[in-house]
This record gives sequence, structure tokens and C-alpha cells, in this order.
Amino acid sequence: MSGHQWILPALNRPRLTIALLVLFALALAAMLPRITVDTNPENMLAADEPVRLFHDQVKKEFTLHDMVVLGVVNEEHPDGVFNPETLGRVLDLSRFAQDLSDPDNPEHRVVKRYVIAPDVVDSIEQDGPGQIRFEWLMPAAPTTREEALAVRDRALNNPMLAGTMVSEDGQALAIYLPLSTKEYAYQVRRALLDRIEQFGAVPEEFHITGLPVAEETFGVEMFIQMAISAPLAMVAIFLLMLFFFRQLNMIIAPMIVAMLTVISTMGLLIGTGQTVHIMSSMIPIFLMPIAVVDSIHILSDFFDKYQESRNREKTLKEVMDHLFTPMLFTSLTSAAGFASLALTPIPPVQVFGIFVAIGIILAWLITILLVPAYIMLLKEEKLANFGQRPVAGELKAGAAVGAPLLVRHLNWLGGFTYRHAKLIAGGSALALVVAAIGISQIQVNDNPMKWFTEKHPIRQADRVLNQHFAGTYEAYLVLEGLDQEPAPAALATELWESLWNQHAHPDRVPCDLFLDPPEWWTLEARYEAENLAKEVTDPDEFFRRLENKWEERLFAAEDDANYDFWLDALDRLGEMQGRGATFRQPEVLAWLIELEEHLIRAGTVGKSNSLTSLVRKVYQELLGGEPADYRLPESAAGVSQTLMAFQNSHRPDDLWHLTTPDFRKANIWLQLKDGDNMVMERTLADLEEFLAAHPPPVELRHDWAGLTYINVIWQEKMVYGMLWAFLGSFAVVYLMMTLLFRSPLWGLLAMIPISVTVAFIYGLIGFIGKDYDMPVAVLSALTLGLAVDFAIHFLQRSRQAYQETGSWAAARSRVFAEPARAISRNAIVVAVGFMPLLAAPLMPYKTVGFFLAAIMAVSGLATMYMLPAAIRLLEKRLFKR
Amino acid sequence: MTSRILALSLLFLLASATMAWAMPVAEIVERANLASYYAGDDGRSEVRMTITDAQGRERQRQFVILRLNLEEGGRQLYYVYFERPADVRRMVFMVHKYLEREDDRWLFLPDLDLVRRIAAADKRSSFVGSHFLYEDVSGRAPTEDRHELAEETAVHYVLDVTPREPETVEFSRYRVWIDKENFLPVKAEYYDRGDNHYRTVEALEIEEIDGFPTVVKSRVMDLEGGGETVMEFASVRYDIGLDQSLFTERYLRRPPREVRR
Repeated sequence: MSGHQWILPALNRPRLTIALLVLFALALAAMLPRITVDTNPENMLAADEPVRLFHDQVKKEFTLHDMVVLGVVNEEHPDGVFNPETLGRVLDLSRFAQDLSDPDNPEHRVVKRYVIAPDVVDSIEQDGPGQIRFEWLMPAAPTTREEALAVRDRALNNPMLAGTMVSEDGQALAIYLPLSTKEYAYQVRRALLDRIEQFGAVPEEFHITGLPVAEETFGVEMFIQMAISAPLAMVAIFLLMLFFFRQLNMIIAPMIVAMLTVISTMGLLIGTGQTVHIMSSMIPIFLMPIAVVDSIHILSDFFDKYQESRNREKTLKEVMDHLFTPMLFTSLTSAAGFASLALTPIPPVQVFGIFVAIGIILAWLITILLVPAYIMLLKEEKLANFGQRPVAGELKAGAAVGAPLLVRHLNWLGGFTYRHAKLIAGGSALALVVAAIGISQIQVNDNPMKWFTEKHPIRQADRVLNQHFAGTYEAYLVLEGLDQEPAPAALATELWESLWNQHAHPDRVPCDLFLDPPEWWTLEARYEAENLAKEVTDPDEFFRRLENKWEERLFAAEDDANYDFWLDALDRLGEMQGRGATFRQPEVLAWLIELEEHLIRAGTVGKSNSLTSLVRKVYQELLGGEPADYRLPESAAGVSQTLMAFQNSHRPDDLWHLTTPDFRKANIWLQLKDGDNMVMERTLADLEEFLAAHPPPVELRHDWAGLTYINVIWQEKMVYGMLWAFLGSFAVVYLMMTLLFRSPLWGLLAMIPISVTVAFIYGLIGFIGKDYDMPVAVLSALTLGLAVDFAIHFLQRSRQAYQETGSWAAARSRVFAEPARAISRNAIVVAVGFMPLLAAPLMPYKTVGFFLAAIMAVSGLATMYMLPAAIRLLEKRLFKR
Repeated sequence: MTSRILALSLLFLLASATMAWAMPVAEIVERANLASYYAGDDGRSEVRMTITDAQGRERQRQFVILRLNLEEGGRQLYYVYFERPADVRRMVFMVHKYLEREDDRWLFLPDLDLVRRIAAADKRSSFVGSHFLYEDVSGRAPTEDRHELAEETAVHYVLDVTPREPETVEFSRYRVWIDKENFLPVKAEYYDRGDNHYRTVEALEIEEIDGFPTVVKSRVMDLEGGGETVMEFASVRYDIGLDQSLFTERYLRRPPREVRR
């Protein structure tokens, strides 16, 4: 069946065809208002991904929240931010920020209780001999220089605050605003900026950062950007086509195709209940150029042939016979390239790939029906001057300059590839080798902060704050003690034996006839402990019940000696009971200090906040506040009592950010100066190195959480997922090519331009040192789908021409006429269509824009140079009968 | 004639009603303060505290409180001896409470063998990590607030209370329900700067012990962050003849017999 038969309905009933297509798009457009937007990059991973589940569990268990960081920097004042005026404004902002909540959605709010700001943190300090004082660090704004400096000194004296809330140089102060949900970050930033605006001209700078702000702001700006970029792309494509075809009424058709395609696809996406994520927001801009490609082929061919017969229907039938198969296959391969993204383990990328694939098929369907129908509806007289054969020398004055240039160049190219086929083959091989070297230098890395351009305020805030503070990126290292409590019987034996050793005369044994009171008491304790051990199996219950029994003995004591004995017994019981509380053990805490110091020395970690600094700080103040007193208590009970003293402060619950109430788990909050995934990865490696060299004193399990860590995980999935997706679609496309051309050799030939293009693009990325990040990863699959189009058209038309002429020497001039022009126009249209992305203020857009343009250019060139050269060299094998 | 009698009795009714209504707010506050913090000349109680956080995790504290009044509605001495959890056993917390100046507080940490005085810049810090604040345990001086009778029901005086120095406390106002019969405050609701109700303190059970109506179970609920603390009082006794000398540093390291019952 020849191609044109498929479109007979469009030729016979053009009005009905167009009406039905528009109706179809409108029906899907009705779904558009049901849009739900999801700007959370965490959703790059499925909600049940283990790392996300763990992250959520850690956040819940340690009451952690995503935080907005508001930095105040004064580099001009000699006292930095610690002058009464600046501190007054800090206080104003802090109080303002603490009460922030979304009026429309009260669940979106700043979690006041856990705000870190000068007015709501406690300071612990010496207050005369033998006395310590807990009080708010800055309950009111200081009025004198002395008071202001006192705030600084007290804060810097507290290791929990220095480098976190107050910079060591005293020039900067940071307020940490925990959010009930990070979706609120963008609004918090807006509200703070408005408030800061009201200060007017002040000497200090205000910066707002934190990963949630970056991510949310990015999400919001991305959608705003889409509203600009997609229409801009449309305008660019429109102008280009106007330039190529100079017939307004003709190029309206592809524009309508693009519009209908985008509307139907987005309607389908939303109608099927998908949220519009950062990835899917890019669908329109991807579909726009792809959707016009087939129209350009039809128009180009029609444009060239119409004048031969001046009969629309006849020309269209001829055009469709030529183009139907290559268009179908290019659409299928492009769709396959995008659909391969469904093989990645990243849900938003899957949705993106599948719906772009659907969009491509829709575009194909709409194109082959709508464009012919549209042409049929045009008045004959309007077509009268249409498509004067643009052969060099025949052009009228005022006609296009671009077209003949293209024509002349293509003519020359046809000859060049014929004469210098071996040179081209050699050059290609060389290019591949160079690309391989570039690829070997690729550095896998991503950082949501770097999704903004250098000049974006968020990027600046990030830079300034990380200069002054220990780091605004957080990673959480969670350690869990795995020690199993021994059985009650063993506990009972250990208990009474230790009591006997302590209280009995060394020469006595328990069965001696004559025993002193402490020895009797020991036997009483033994009797109770061993009997209880027979009854209960759960160590906790054993401890609780034995404690009750011994407590009764304590209160029943008749003299001080007996009282002291039972007190000692209870202390031993308590000590034993506390062993499961891993992070009350001084030796575990001492090991943890080493671990933290190792990570800081290794260089990626600016500061580590954990139980160790809190315990040491409180203990130091309890002892008298001397610098030498900054150390751990010697016993687990000492640690507990130190922490009990701490819990008499205004914010006792801050302790539960660092450990669980049973002290079996500890959370170490690491402040990283850099959000690069590479930095996080190095931190992971540093930890493993430490653990290998310094095993913990008890068995511990370690795990990571925090947004910086999650980014590393989804990057890993992205990199390998994309690699598999690429290999998968490469195989599928090759199979399709073999099928299309009914020859494995031709199939292989079709894969040459893609392979070279991919190698070139990734080699380039390696050479220029551009990080292999999310947008770059997505590119590989796109390359495949788009670049193979040119090869299909070129090879299909070459075969047709060869059959008609019988030799490549003769066929090539035909191929380098209309088909080559269509291919070139397409390459240029699509490349230019993506160009508006370069103007975006967001880096992933720039990256996609730049590389897609490069892909189009390179694959266009690769097709036009390498395929004819290859056909020339392999002519006998390719065309053997 | 009948109408005159009617008028007269109406007048009488009205007068008696106004008289009952007319108990001055200051007196209600004073009597509530005495009923809740100054029962008897002294007292002893064993307390079990259950702290439940927003995730439902429970922690226990168990301690003995000794209290001695030095003056009615004025100076008091407190001695708090910890029994649980095991690793803070023998920890002692001692308070000399004054009205006109900052309290004196001592903390004895047995394992560190350390006695420290703790300056209490304000009394609205946590009591041993629970949802109770110091002021909930030892009382807030009535002179620090302005009181206003909001409502009088059949069983309660309902007072609206605003602090005289709002910058020293975390609440902007609270409303308290005082039992008309025994003058014990049975419920207090606290509001923050944004006028959100964020905290409730309640008396859950009241018993008469040695002739004194006594709260034997109370609870603080944290409505903002979730979680609550319940305090249960057992073996409550009054007028046991505690000596002032027990409430001195000497007895921190070695608890007096009175602690042991």
C-alpha cells in the first residue's frame, strides 16, 4: 500500500478532518485546569524509595525540619553585625519570621519552637563563683556597644552556636527557620524579602539560602520560565519557517500542528492524573520543535514539486508516497528514544519520556492528516506562486538569500563527499578517538544550587554565607547501637558477684557459716535477683522489677550502712541498665569525637553538631567554665546528669535532635560548605575510611539522611538509569532500522550519525569540564531519538534515488537536492527552536538549550558528511542485488 | 402590699447575688495561690512524671518533693530528690523561693559529686525536661500579672490573666478556671503572641488529704508541638514537721531521712 492512501480521508474530507482534530485537542484541553504542580525535586525518587523513607524517618525521629537560612552580614562596621542597630533589625526579622504561616494553609508555617536565632536560643554561662546561669541569649535588642559585643562573645563561646548561628569573624549572623513543609520555603523567602525591603538603606546585607529555598525557588521560577520559553520557541520557529518558505498561509499549518500536539499531550498528562513536575514542565518546549519537523518535510517536498503539476491533490499524493514511511519511522524512533526514559528508575523522568513519546506519535498523526487537509482548503490562486523551484540562478530579485546559499552548499557537499569519502571516514574515526578521551574525563556531579546562574541572588547568598559560616548544606549521619542486652540470669549473676566483690571480705565465700551484715545483704540481693531472673525473660522488665524491690529495701534501711549498701546496689543496677543506652557511654562519645574531627580534617565538613559538643559544653559550665573543662564526664551516669542539668533550660527538646530518648541512636548534623554531590560523596568515603581504621567500641550501624545525601542517591540512579535507557533504546532503534531497511548493514549505517553525535557531545562535556548532571543525563536519550531522524530520511531517499538512477554517482545529486534541503532546514529549525532556552536564568535550561542545538548541528553534519561517504565506500555491498 | 414584699425580696435576692459576685478578684487570686502552693505548714509527696513526646515516646521521672512554708503566701523552701531514671538517682534540686527577688536554686549531681547554684534568670524554663515549667511547680507570684474576672459559672471563677512585663514571658495571656469551692485552679489555657492557644495545664484529679484539697494528678499539654506531661502525686502528707535546716547545702549530698519516708 502506498503512503498516500493513509491520508485519503484528509484529501477527500479536509474540513471534517480538521474539525475532528481540533475537537480532539479541545476535549483534552478541558483537562488542563485540573493541573497539580509538584516542584519537589525529592520526587525525582519514588516516594517509597528506601533512602527517602529513611530520610523521613530520621526527620521524624529527631524532629528535624528542612530549613531556610537567613544570613545577615555586615562587613563594614568594625564590630560586624554586633552593633545595636543591626542586632535590632536581626531581632525584628527573627520575631517576624517566627510567626510566619500561610494564611490559606495554616499547616505551612515556620516551626517556631526549633528556630535558631539570637532571641530564642539559650546561653549557658558562669554567673559568679559556683553558679551557672541559663538565659535567653538576646531577649531584647542591646542598646550599647558593650551589650552587643557581649551577645557575640556569649554566642561564640557556645560550640553549638559558633560557626552555625554566629560566624567566627563576628561579621555575620544566621537565623535558621525550620519549616513544617519545605513547599513553604518560597513564600518564606518572599515574606522575608518584603520585610527587609522596609528597612530601606542599611549597612548590612541580607541573604536567604538553604536547599529547600533553592529547590522551591527553582521550581517556581521554572514554571514562570516555561511560560516564556515555550512561546519564545514558537516565535523563533515561526520566523525561521517564514524565512524558508515565505508563505504565511503555508507555515500556519505546522504552527497549528505544534499547538494541537502540545495541548493534547499536556491535557492527556494532566487528565491521566500525573502531577506536573519539573521534568514534565519541559514537555511543551520539547514537543514544539519536534512537532513541526514532519510538516517541514511535507511542505519542503510539496514546495519543490508543486510547480511540476500545479495540482494540489496529485502533488500531495506524490509527496506522501515519498514521505510516509520515513516519517512514520522517524516518529517511531524518536518516540522510542524518549520512551526509553521509562527504563530509568526516576518517576518524573519516566513520565516525561512516555508523554513526549506519546506527543511525538500524536504530532505525526496530526501532521499527516492536518497538513494535507489544510493545503486542500487553500485557494488555488494562493498557491499559484508557491514553490518556484529554488535552483541557483533562477531566482527573482528580492527572493531568499538563505535558500540558494543552502542549495549551493549542498551541491558542493554532494561532490565533496563523493570525492573524499576516505578522508571523511578517517576524520570520523579520529573524531571518535578524541571523543573517547573526552568521555573518560567526564565528571559526574550535580548541585541544585548551581541550577541558578552565578548572578542569581540565591547563588550569591550561598557564596557569601558559606564564606562566613561553617556551611549551609546539611547531611545527617545517623548511628545506631546494635548491642543486645544479655538474659536476666546472666545479669543477675553479674550483679551479685560485683556486689560480693565490693562488700565481702576477700577470704569469705557465700556459703560460709559466719557472715557479716554486708555479706548477708549481698546474699539477699542475690536471692531477689536470681529468683526474679527465673520469672522474667525481658531484661527491661527484669531491671524495672528488681529496681522496685531494691528501692523498698533502700527505704526500709535501718541504718546508714544498710542504706549505703542498697544505694550502691541500685547504682550498679542503674549502670548495667544504662549499657543499652549506647550514646551515654563516654567511650562511645569519645570515639564519636574522633570521627567528627576526622571528617572535619578531611576537609568537606565545616562543622559537626552532635551530642558530644552539647555534653562537653554543659559539663564545662558545670565544672566552672575553664577552657580545659571542655571534655566528657567520666561515666555514663555523669553524662546523664549533665544532660539532666541541660534539660532545665528553655529548650530541653533540642536534645532530641541529637539522640533518641533511649540513647540508642545518635544524629550527627554535618554542615557542608558545598552542595556538590562530589563533596557529599567524598564525605561518605571519608567516613568509611575512618570506620575501617577506627572501629567503634560497640557495634554500630550507620546510615545517611539529608537532602544533600538524597541528591547523591538520585544522581547515581540517574547516571546508571540513563546509561541503561540509552543502551536499551540504541538496541531498539537499531532493530527498527534493520526492519525498515530490511538489512542489518543499512541498519548499522543509520546508527553512524547518532553514535558519532553522542560521542561528540559527551566528549565535549568531558573536555570543557561541564559536570555530568541531571539535564546532561537526560540528553543522551534525546540525542538518539532526534539524530536518527536525519539518517532515516537520508538513507530512505538515497535508496529511492538509487533505484531510480541505478548508481550512487547519479543518485547523490538527487539526494543532495530536495531531501538534503529538508534535512538541513529541519536541523536548523529544531536547533533554533531550542535556542530561546539559552536566555533562561536557570542553568538546566541553558544546558538543554545549548546541547540540543549542538546535537542538531552535529547530527545534521554527521548525516550529510558521513552517510554519503559511507555509501560511496560500501556502495557494492549496500546495493548488491 | 404583696407587691412591696415582692420588691423587697427581689432587692434582697439581687443584693445577695451581687455580694456573691462581689468577691474581689484580688481575693480570688490570693486564695487560689494559697490553695495550690501553700497547703499546710509543710508537705511531702512522691511524684511520678510521665513525659510523652509528639511521637508517643515516653520517659519517666520519679522524685520526692519536700516543701516548707516560711511565710503564708511568701517565702518557701523546696527539696526535690530524684529516684528515677536510675542514672540520675540521688540527684537533688533545691529551691529557696522568694517573692521580691530571684530564687536561689541548687543542683547536686551525685555522679560528678558536684553542687552547683543555678541562677534563674526566669522561671519559665523547663522543669527537668518535662512540659511543666518551674513556675507550674513552685507557683507564679500573683503580683506579676493583672487579673480580671471574665466569667463566673456555677462552679468556677474564670479569670483572664495578662503579664505585667510581657517581654519576660513566652505567653501573651492566659485564662484560668478556679474551683469556687476549694479555690484550686483546675485549668489554665495559655495563648502566645499570635493569640493562639498553645498550652493547657489541668488538674485531672483532686483529693482531700489531711483536710487539704490536693491535686493528685495534673497534666500539661503542648498543643503547638504535640506531647504532654502527666504528674501523679502519691503518699502526700502535710504538717509533718520539717525542719528548716534540711533545706541547706549540707543535705544535698546526703538526703535527710524525711526523703526516705
